[in-house]
Amino acid sequence: MISDRNIQKNGLVNLAALVGVGVGAGLTARYLDSAAGYLSMLFIGFGFLVGAVSYFQMRLEARERAEKMEYDELLRAKSASALFDSPDAESFPAQRARQQFERVFVPLFTAVLVILQGVVVYWQWTALAKANPLKIERATVGMALFGLFALVLFLLGKYAAGIARIEKQRLLRPGAGYMLLGAVLCGVTIAGLAAGLMGYPKVDLIAARVMVVLLGLTVIETLVTLIFEGYRPRMKGQVVRLLYESRLIGLLGAPESLITTAAHALDYQFGFKVSETWFYRFLERAFAWIVLVQLGILWISTMVVFIEPHEQAVIERLGSPKDKVLEPGLHVKLPWPVDVVYRFQTRNLQQFLVGVVPDENLEKEKVLLWTKAHYKEEINFLVASRQREAITNQTPSDQAVPVNLLTASIPVQYTIQNVLDWAYKHENAAEMLKHLATREVVNYLVSVDIDEIMAAGRDAAAKELQKRIQQTADANQLGVRIVFVGLQDIHPPVGTSDNAVAEAYEQVNGALQQREGRILSAQKEAEEIVPRARAAAADRLSRAESYKLMKISDGLAAQGRFPNQVLAYEASPEVYKQRTYLDTLARALQKPRKYLLATTNTSHVINFNLEDQVRFDLLSDVSVPDEDKDKKKK
Amino acid sequence: MNRNPLTLFTGVVLVIIFVLLLFTFQVRQTEVAVVTTFGRYSKSITSPGFNLKWPWPIQRVYKFENRTQSFEKKFEQTQTGDSRIILITVYAGWKISDPQKFLIRFDGDPLRAEQSLENLIRNAQNSVIGRHQFGDLVSPNPADLKFDQVEKEMLVEVKDTANKEYGIDITLLGIKQLGLPESITTKVFERMKEERARLVTKFNSEGEEQATIIRAEANRKRQEILSKAEAESLVIMGQGEAEASKSMRVFEQNRELAVFLLQLNALEQSLKERATLILDAQSAPFNMLNGVSAENTKSKSGQ
Repeated sequence: MISDRNIQKNGLVNLAALVGVGVGAGLTARYLDSAAGYLSMLFIGFGFLVGAVSYFQMRLEARERAEKMEYDELLRAKSASALFDSPDAESFPAQRARQQFERVFVPLFTAVLVILQGVVVYWQWTALAKANPLKIERATVGMALFGLFALVLFLLGKYAAGIARIEKQRLLRPGAGYMLLGAVLCGVTIAGLAAGLMGYPKVDLIAARVMVVLLGLTVIETLVTLIFEGYRPRMKGQVVRLLYESRLIGLLGAPESLITTAAHALDYQFGFKVSETWFYRFLERAFAWIVLVQLGILWISTMVVFIEPHEQAVIERLGSPKDKVLEPGLHVKLPWPVDVVYRFQTRNLQQFLVGVVPDENLEKEKVLLWTKAHYKEEINFLVASRQREAITNQTPSDQAVPVNLLTASIPVQYTIQNVLDWAYKHENAAEMLKHLATREVVNYLVSVDIDEIMAAGRDAAAKELQKRIQQTADANQLGVRIVFVGLQDIHPPVGTSDNAVAEAYEQVNGALQQREGRILSAQKEAEEIVPRARAAAADRLSRAESYKLMKISDGLAAQGRFPNQVLAYEASPEVYKQRTYLDTLARALQKPRKYLLATTNTSHVINFNLEDQVRFDLLSDVSVPDEDKDKKKK
Repeated sequence: MNRNPLTLFTGVVLVIIFVLLLFTFQVRQTEVAVVTTFGRYSKSITSPGFNLKWPWPIQRVYKFENRTQSFEKKFEQTQTGDSRIILITVYAGWKISDPQKFLIRFDGDPLRAEQSLENLIRNAQNSVIGRHQFGDLVSPNPADLKFDQVEKEMLVEVKDTANKEYGIDITLLGIKQLGLPESITTKVFERMKEERARLVTKFNSEGEEQATIIRAEANRKRQEILSKAEAESLVIMGQGEAEASKSMRVFEQNRELAVFLLQLNALEQSLKERATLILDAQSAPFNMLNGVSAENTKSKSGQ
């Protein structure tokens, strides 16, 4: 039987170990940028909180036991004393303190723990999306340290769990559970680091996500326990379950208990003792060997590597690259860590943009206008101005620099051609290529005219840029082939609200259209004027021809008629003349207005108003123009 | 007892791994390593491979990047030789040439190295740009440009110091971006806008000019066509009259009658449209009305 003091000491040691290992794990995780390491640290931190509350509760229970012993001693010594006949609550302060602690503090702490763990779950889940990459080069140191942490936690946790089981010290159980789980999580972190060394750095992140899910499940379990505690029937003498103790943590911290639980479940299901069969006993005996063989197979499997169709890979033997590049297919190599394979997506077309910082939201827009920025950030490139001579005559203080500004989004597409150069000449070959390409674009644009490059010179410029970027990439041994350089998105800058440059360019296009419109309008008028003139000329000629024909016809008619008229005249000259005169007068005076003065009195003065009266019959030939038609014409 | 071989095997494996971790290290092709013994420099390892070492704290291994690293300086304002203000960004490619010096100068921290490089490059950049005209950096005539020369001069200025003092070899240096301060950018925008406005006016005037020319040409053609037609019509009419005159001879048979008939014809033609005649009763045939008028007067007075 271990004394209360020793058990408390054990609890205190566990607390110190949890603090020490938690801080160590946190610092190591920071050193490695290991997400799984951070999660392990957080679990250990929660273990410390739970262990601290358990330790406090343990002390309260120890005080209560001491108080009870004192009370029993006094009872024996003064059995007849009236003082102890009816013991009330005031007589047992330690017991009352423990009860108050269990009734008030424990549920409150459990609720706070649930909230805290919930917040951590949310924070870590979102933070993992932006987690820094694992520092693989430090992985070996990290593995050693986490191994040490795992060992410490395992030994202390195992010891505490043993005491808790043997001595029925339930208050040692929560802390021990967290310590054992901490040991397991340190082991998982080591596995993540080892995977990183083998070329799978994402395993660390995946392990961290699994740990976050585990913490989430713990939150749910504790919350359910907390709620159900309120509805649990209270029985006198029943040991109260620790609200903040997670069964899930206990189970995961001691995997062998999982096997025992599974064996019990099988026994119950099949109705006989499956756990006593030879096969089960063999499995139990050989389990460690089986795991070891599995690990061996896993290690041997690192001798085989599959390269995907879009990939090439470089193989390094003890850090030294082999000349042969691994092409797509199956390859055999020495096991990790002797041979390590580094994969590169050499056949995938890769692209970056020069001159802009892309924006995911703006990229979704389907219409790209010069007057509206369509990237997060657009660089104003300096381009030469043909008006340089005129402007450079100004004094320097004028600062009217002889340049124009141009916005360009230039996609540069490339593939990796020499994977060894790409991998070993530059720390970040993609970034270096972007620097070099941007430099070439800047260098090219400072010597071209804005109007030239935006019009006829665009294709030539794109080809020239592709050539230059390829040359500089080759000169710097980047091992890439430039596939395409596009100048399709090159335009004047948007400008400011007061100086909308792109809009001014659009107005020029508008003016060009207007100019063409005016010319076409004039041409339309010309097309009308000339044919009309030709028509008028034709009419005039036609009338002249008519006149000519009329004259000739009249002449011929007179030629035929006049001899006969002469004959008639000669027959009776006076009568013929009168008849002809009167006939003519009768015909001629049919229409004209006539005033006949029948009076003979010549002394009268007669006034005639010969002013033209409006003749409404004239208006019958006049048509009123249609207003609607007039408007349409306008 | 059954577990002894397993425990032994696992223990041996763990011990081997632990010993390997303590006594060996690997240098990759991409790395260069410096080994120190009790804090004192021992050796640099520049070729990849497997190496032995004493465990910490006796020996310590520092590993650095062996490949060319890129570094980009801030977008900085500076002044050219002809007092023009520009903004410039310079990028550089550098690699560790002397690992020992790199470790001593910067504690092996690349960020500290880049901070020192930035100051070095800024100094070179401002001094080189200050020696050149703006036209050396931006010119419509490629022959006038000294872009490459400016970059080379900058590289020469920093290369030696970086090599000797920092243990760094600057392999390349280039101008990544050129720009103008905001106030000048606004002025350039203003000028570009005015340039466009000039073109707008030009195109509008050109349109007006072309339209006027086209209209004038059309009117000229119309006039030409009408004038020709007029002349031609006069000729035709003359021809008609000439032809008609041939028939005039017939009138010689009785000239008096002919004149009389022509007068009558003229009279008839002239009275065709909107004529008003004031006639007295003496004109034939209205003189016939005189008797009627007298009789009417008599009959009225008789009554």
